[in-house]
Amino acid sequence: MSRRWRLPARFAALGYLALLIVVPVGSVFFRAFQHGFGAAWDAVTTPEATHAFWLTIFVVAIAVPLDTIFGVGVALLLARHRFRGAWILDAFIDIPLALSPVVVGLGLVLVYGKSGWFGNWLAARGIAIIFSVPGIVMASATVALPYVARSVLPVLLEIGTEQEQAARTLGAGPVAIFLRITLPSIRRSLAYGVTLTTARVLGEFGAVAIVSGAIVDKTQTMTLFIDDSFNNLDPVGAYAGAVILALLSLGVLLILGGDRHQRRERRWQSPSAESPSDMEVLLPATT
Amino acid sequence: MTLEIPAGSLTALLGPSGGGKSTLLRIIAGLETPDRGTVEIDGVDVTDVPVRKRGVGFCFQHYAPFRHLTVRRNVAFGLEVRRRPKNEIREKVDELLDLVKLAHLADRYPSQLSGGQRQRMALARALAIEPRVLLLDEPFGALDAQVRQQLRRWLRDLHEKIAVTTVLVTHDQEEAMEVADRLAIINEGHLEQVGSPSQIYDRPANEFVLKFLGPATQFGGSWVRPHDLTVHRVGRGTGQPGVVERVTHLGFEVRVDVHLNNGERTWVQLSRGAADELGLEESDVVWVAPSPHALAATGMRQLSSA
Repeated sequence: MSRRWRLPARFAALGYLALLIVVPVGSVFFRAFQHGFGAAWDAVTTPEATHAFWLTIFVVAIAVPLDTIFGVGVALLLARHRFRGAWILDAFIDIPLALSPVVVGLGLVLVYGKSGWFGNWLAARGIAIIFSVPGIVMASATVALPYVARSVLPVLLEIGTEQEQAARTLGAGPVAIFLRITLPSIRRSLAYGVTLTTARVLGEFGAVAIVSGAIVDKTQTMTLFIDDSFNNLDPVGAYAGAVILALLSLGVLLILGGDRHQRRERRWQSPSAESPSDMEVLLPATT
Repeated sequence: MTLEIPAGSLTALLGPSGGGKSTLLRIIAGLETPDRGTVEIDGVDVTDVPVRKRGVGFCFQHYAPFRHLTVRRNVAFGLEVRRRPKNEIREKVDELLDLVKLAHLADRYPSQLSGGQRQRMALARALAIEPRVLLLDEPFGALDAQVRQQLRRWLRDLHEKIAVTTVLVTHDQEEAMEVADRLAIINEGHLEQVGSPSQIYDRPANEFVLKFLGPATQFGGSWVRPHDLTVHRVGRGTGQPGVVERVTHLGFEVRVDVHLNNGERTWVQLSRGAADELGLEESDVVWVAPSPHALAATGMRQLSSA
């Protein structure tokens, strides 16, 4: 880009971001604390709000590891093995991203709900999935399914298999290769994938709204709590809840994303600028 | 094909690209499985021994450095996965880094090294596990000409010092002859000839080997090295008369194309001095003869020009 356009372009990009993100999110923060910090604090420390908060954390704690294991596994499968039907798997991963979460939720209800395929079987064994926590975890894990695989796969393809082969010749077994070579190589992209997954699970509304039934104190997550407060003319509760949710997501971004910037800087260090050349090192006496 | 590689030797698998040299090397390492046949190391069949238990050091063409580890940790890798005691690892790694002259760069990352330095790091990493066989896949392929020259000499010195059985793959005949004490010529999956560099150069088993190892030209119905021919202004016993078609100056050597009266087109490689002495020009009439020392040393190569 020519020097002339650099500054206007920068302003345009920042202005666009401000319009779409900073100003709306800022207003939410502003509205939450409009009636003072105390009112906001009271609104999010009610038993319902506390329950919703911990339920959300619980769902994240289960769904994100599930998606991470699945994502890394599928990425390894697609990057390191050739098998029939690989393209189908590759295409299927993206389906949750393409579908509306509402469709995902409805689908889960159809399969696991009372009148669903497994409904009777499950009910006979006293297992509740729909209108219960397992359903929320399943819905959240499904909508956030592609992020880890999609972040990790291109990096796995780019680094290739030579390092892993070298580790094998040096005596490393499959576990050692994964932990010592593969995992460190995909670390940054994995962190990015986990960040996206976590943010998605934290913020998931549509699918969760359908499978959970939004039962207060039982199956109400943060997003459902915010929606409920908003509809019941409790704006302070809604905005304060939104602030908590936003802070959680931002926290995840900072903790998992911060690492990426450090690594990038190290990569830009100049390579062996001041080290002696091969000639000086190798042939001091012989020439 | 059957190929024996003597313990302690430095053998080069030499041949044109795509001829199966690297595949052979990867089969020896266990990175690829042969369709049939066996691999033995020290007389023991290792065909079904997995790579990690085979005790081979493998240097990849692009070195495959562990990018997230420092030079020191790269070299230590094989010992770390073998769970050797920490102080033993440190000692061994220091020793190896000295050997490959990288001690001063021990804490660098591979991205901060030059190509030659990476190459030596990969070598130290492979040697750390005290392999029974060291395998090098196009070890100098990715380096620029000057560094390549130095590393060749250095590798030979290193091999004399540590005497580990080494097999390297190259498509560069000059490199193979300079570095290796044994050559195995491989073409299209076949082993064409095995022997010392001078044996193979002077007594090639067939036309392919002859042409692959150096320039060759036809003379008197057989193939000769163009530097084994001489040009004279006056006829001698074994000479063939002909007309100079072209004189090309290539730095220190001169190439003289001659159309012999018997119909053969041959060319002679002369030193600059010899060429100047003769003062050759196009369409001069000359006699071409095999040089006497070449005849005495190796005899004419009576090869069919199939």
